[in-house]
Amino acid sequence: MSAVLTHPVPPPRQESPGLWTLAWRRLKQDTVGMVSLGVVAFFLLMVAGVATGIVAGDWNKEKGVSYANPSFMAGAENLEAKALQQRDAAKAAPVDLSDIDPLAPRYKEWEERAAKISITETKRAETLPLGGDKWGRDVLKKAMKGSEISILVGLTAALFATVLGVMLGAAAGYWGGWVNDFLEWFYNIFTSIPYILLILAFAAVAAATGKFGKGILPIILILALTGWTGIYRLIRAEYIKHSNREYVKAAQAIGASNASRMFVHILPNVSHVALVQLSQHVVSFIKAEVILSFLGFGVPVDMVSWGTMLAEAQNELVIGKWWQLFAAGASMAILVTAFSLLTDSLRDALDPKIK
Amino acid sequence: MIPTLAGVILLIFLLFNWVGGDPAHVLAGKISNPEQIKNIRKQLGVDEPYLVQLWVFVKQVFTFDFGRSWSTNEEVSRILLTRIGPTLTVMVPVLVIETVLAVIFAVMVAYVRGRPTDRGIMAICTVAMSISFLVYIIFFQWLFGFILGWFPVQGWSESFTKNLLTYAPLPIMLAVAVGLAPSLRLYRSFFLDEINQDYVRTARAKGVPEKVVMMKHVMRNALIPILTNVGILLPGVFVGSFLLEVFFSIPGLGREIITAVNRSDFPVIKAVTVYLAMLTMIINLLVDVMYKFVDPRVSFK
Amino acid sequence: MNDNLLLQVRDLDIRFRIDRKSEPFQAVKGISFDIPTNSTVALVGESGSGKTVSAMAILGLLPENSIIPASSRILYGGRDLLKCPMSEMQSIRGKEISVIFQEPMTSLNPVFTVGEQIAEVLRLHMGMGIRQAFDRAKELLAEVGIPNPQLRVNSYPHEMSGGQQQRVMIAMAIACEPKLLIADEPTTALDVTIQKQILDLIANLQSKHHMSVLFITHDLGVVGEIADHVVVMQNGLIQEQGSVRQIFEAPQHPYTKALLACRPRLDRRPKRLPVIDDYLKGDGRPHHLEERHRGSAPGDQFILEVKGLNKTFFLKEGLFGKRAVPAVKDVSFKLPKGKTLGLVGESGSGKTTVGLTVMRLHDATSGEVLFEGRNLLSLTDKEMMAYRRRIQIIFQNPYASLNPRFTIGQILMEPMRIHSIGKDDRERTEMAFQLLAKVGLAEQSFYKYPHEFSGGQRQRIAIARCLTMKPDVLICDESVSALDVSVQAQVLNLLQDLQDEFGLSYIFISHDLAVVKYISDMVMVMNDGAIVEMADSDQIYLNPQQEYTRKLLSSIPRGLEKAEAA
Repeated sequence: MSAVLTHPVPPPRQESPGLWTLAWRRLKQDTVGMVSLGVVAFFLLMVAGVATGIVAGDWNKEKGVSYANPSFMAGAENLEAKALQQRDAAKAAPVDLSDIDPLAPRYKEWEERAAKISITETKRAETLPLGGDKWGRDVLKKAMKGSEISILVGLTAALFATVLGVMLGAAAGYWGGWVNDFLEWFYNIFTSIPYILLILAFAAVAAATGKFGKGILPIILILALTGWTGIYRLIRAEYIKHSNREYVKAAQAIGASNASRMFVHILPNVSHVALVQLSQHVVSFIKAEVILSFLGFGVPVDMVSWGTMLAEAQNELVIGKWWQLFAAGASMAILVTAFSLLTDSLRDALDPKIK
Repeated sequence: MIPTLAGVILLIFLLFNWVGGDPAHVLAGKISNPEQIKNIRKQLGVDEPYLVQLWVFVKQVFTFDFGRSWSTNEEVSRILLTRIGPTLTVMVPVLVIETVLAVIFAVMVAYVRGRPTDRGIMAICTVAMSISFLVYIIFFQWLFGFILGWFPVQGWSESFTKNLLTYAPLPIMLAVAVGLAPSLRLYRSFFLDEINQDYVRTARAKGVPEKVVMMKHVMRNALIPILTNVGILLPGVFVGSFLLEVFFSIPGLGREIITAVNRSDFPVIKAVTVYLAMLTMIINLLVDVMYKFVDPRVSFK
Repeated sequence: MNDNLLLQVRDLDIRFRIDRKSEPFQAVKGISFDIPTNSTVALVGESGSGKTVSAMAILGLLPENSIIPASSRILYGGRDLLKCPMSEMQSIRGKEISVIFQEPMTSLNPVFTVGEQIAEVLRLHMGMGIRQAFDRAKELLAEVGIPNPQLRVNSYPHEMSGGQQQRVMIAMAIACEPKLLIADEPTTALDVTIQKQILDLIANLQSKHHMSVLFITHDLGVVGEIADHVVVMQNGLIQEQGSVRQIFEAPQHPYTKALLACRPRLDRRPKRLPVIDDYLKGDGRPHHLEERHRGSAPGDQFILEVKGLNKTFFLKEGLFGKRAVPAVKDVSFKLPKGKTLGLVGESGSGKTTVGLTVMRLHDATSGEVLFEGRNLLSLTDKEMMAYRRRIQIIFQNPYASLNPRFTIGQILMEPMRIHSIGKDDRERTEMAFQLLAKVGLAEQSFYKYPHEFSGGQRQRIAIARCLTMKPDVLICDESVSALDVSVQAQVLNLLQDLQDEFGLSYIFISHDLAVVKYISDMVMVMNDGAIVEMADSDQIYLNPQQEYTRKLLSSIPRGLEKAEAA
């Protein structure tokens, strides 16, 4: 009995919903949860679009003038762009050296020939939807491309970490004995080193030797290999709890094998914990990736991530160009808030408690 | 503790000496002096079998001699000792202020649980936690330092008091502001867990007023997980917030680590990692001892 | 208001808000009863009857989502407690009306000493100083029978046993000499011998301090022993109330009659236990009350023989040490075919460990378990598989013994698949349907999940699961202990029917002496890991030889002896 009396249970319904159906029903009633789900789904769709090149394919093109203003600030001054234009204009008028220049008679001929070859030089835009960066790249498109990297890294790393944590946690919790002792020792090693330090140590080796792979693989591996510990702890505790429950003993009594008990019996009872952990880790890995990319240890330089955008933004702020900070910061904030709220709603839907 | 320490040493060794391997070609790009590279390789015994290298490393750990930094040629041990001061100057106040504020706000919020104030503050926390620390630093450094000029944008000095009063406040405030939200959420959940316990029902049944229930009965029990949490945060105090140190040019341990990673300065990274791991284990031991005084259910082994 | 009445409950209606969409759940549907001064009122009912909720309403200790309409009143000392402001309630709580709860371990604050917690109440309501309050606390501890109160006053709750913790709770409750003590199932979580002590203590304190006691319980035996008045609740309504004599000797309502009758008695053994439906439906009378004889016979064949069974647990101590905890010490017995061996003992007696070790769910330290001549403990895992289906077990907790993520169908099919029973899944499904019918469940249950069933129904499913393998021996480990009395009767009847039909042999483990006597042919009494006494069930109860057995038997609440079945 608890301080609040146990909630009286209303009579059961006619159909037989399993855990996931029940959870889905509860989630549907949670407005905040559904909105977050929608936002996350939107981001995922956008990532799919960016990854296939449908959306923001030309993020790298220098479409706008340097530090182009955002569309809603069209009238504002853009001193840097003007300065560059003046410099270019100054270059455009060469000094006339025709009297000492031996090639002078041929210039006219060359100009005529050059004029025949059409080069489409698109005029650089004065404003872009969310502004431009130093090279005139569209900030909005960069933010979208950046989301692809961050979300991809976050999801993949979280998936790896969860699989790793679940397998190790299940083994330690179920078997106990020396398996548990060994895994606990392993866990202690990883947790004695402060988390950021561990990541940086891995990052240092990865950067120095390239032995972790190329592109976004190193950072995914780093995050997964250092981030499994929290999941391991929880899943291990769950397995210990469930291994002592009577339904597992009953399974043993009827002759179910160890593998069957671990994965067919216990795992379905633990999977909702794993799912919530996965969701939480996506959030923390996205945040970590941004910081690592900012410092230069994350994604390679030819890719854009919210972190690299923020790195550029740091210097831009001083000259008054705030839109990259805003675009990267805001899009990340929206996604992370939505994901965090979704995680909370997921947890409530899967494991409802009396508030 | 000893097996874990052995494991940490093994892990760092495997990571840097085995996976990391021969630093020659890495260093070639960063250090122009071939003599220096040759010396380093000799010092590490890179051509020797792994077991010898491991023994070298173990010796280094226990004699506190990691040789010299590959980039600055400064003695690694000196680097560690001089950088720890600034880090602590910033991080210790952060931890203290953040914990005190988090506990106070968590109690208040738990007291009015479920009502709009509670939900509003939790919503603010969620949003606050989703904005990257980077954005906070960039923005507030610009706002308070650059635009308003209330604090210096960057810098550090030799004098402790000057540091504490002029250079440290902005970084400290930033760290507290960012760290408050997650701690508040966590401590709130501790208080709510305790409120639902049977002994709280007994206290109410005895006629104890609600405020006393919260401040005396619940608080005393919630202190146990709060203490655990502070224990977990303590090692972080020594690592420092490298972002803060980088942005504000504070010559602390965090910034040193970042520099070392940038320059592939393995000795520094190895040393810091091993020593901080040892420190974490010692802190854990101390926290375990403190438990005895906080939780009467715990007995000494 | 009548001078003899301390508290009056009128038209109490309590509902709980579940969520925004559904109708609030009505737990108490308008009840009225009185608590006279200087008397004990028992509030009796099964789980879900609303008895606890009604009592908690008196002190306003209901959860935040409770709704009580203005028409409900609880009259005490010239006021309506339901309309009192919180500050007034707080001055009544602990001082004029006190509560003790069911689980003393969790009801005491773990970080304060026992003395501090008792002193708190004295300082709060009696304005005592620290010194004075502590001295009084020591006196109170002595009064409730705690030895060494000088020392114990500085103990923490976890350093005391369950019985002592409950005494501390009682000390806290009577510290300010309340007029009413509400006791919510205070002995349900305690061993039977301790239960008797606590009941005696409460009775003594009641008469010494002239206070009234509202005693909530599901156990009619207890009611008979201590109550002056009885209020019987079912599903949020009062079905009957009256003096204890009236209720026990001349019950009027069928539900009361059923409650009294379906509990196994010590002096009779009907062929089938009466169940609630016997009284509420049909002609309102149970049938099949002819007696059944039980006991061992000279021609008995033995299907299971246990010789010298030992089980010692090794707990880690310090860095490398181990502490030996012997749970089962040299236990030997024989189980006759088609009969029931009852295994009785208090918590920690080792009775459950015996069952688990026989099934090889624990590894025995030494000994033999001979099944049809073969020693089960010496078989390899592979050899054991053939025998697994022949000895099965039904656990105590119906809420934990079925996998929440499996449908009933999956639960029943799994053992059949493992042991290759039935040709294919279609045949197995047929067999599953038949078994569900045999244990009294609808065919539709096959497709449902455990959470859709009640405790008693889940035990039936557990029984069906065992039956899929057509076992010879069934170990019932406290299988009915967690069930309400009426449901318990149904499950016991089911077990009996199955034994009659299939010739199953049972090892029935329980702490409930009345149930064990009813269902067993022979009874084995265990204490501290060893067998104290073993004899035919009738013999043990009529002629206990050992001291411990006598002590156990004398602790059984005798309230029922006064009753006569309808």
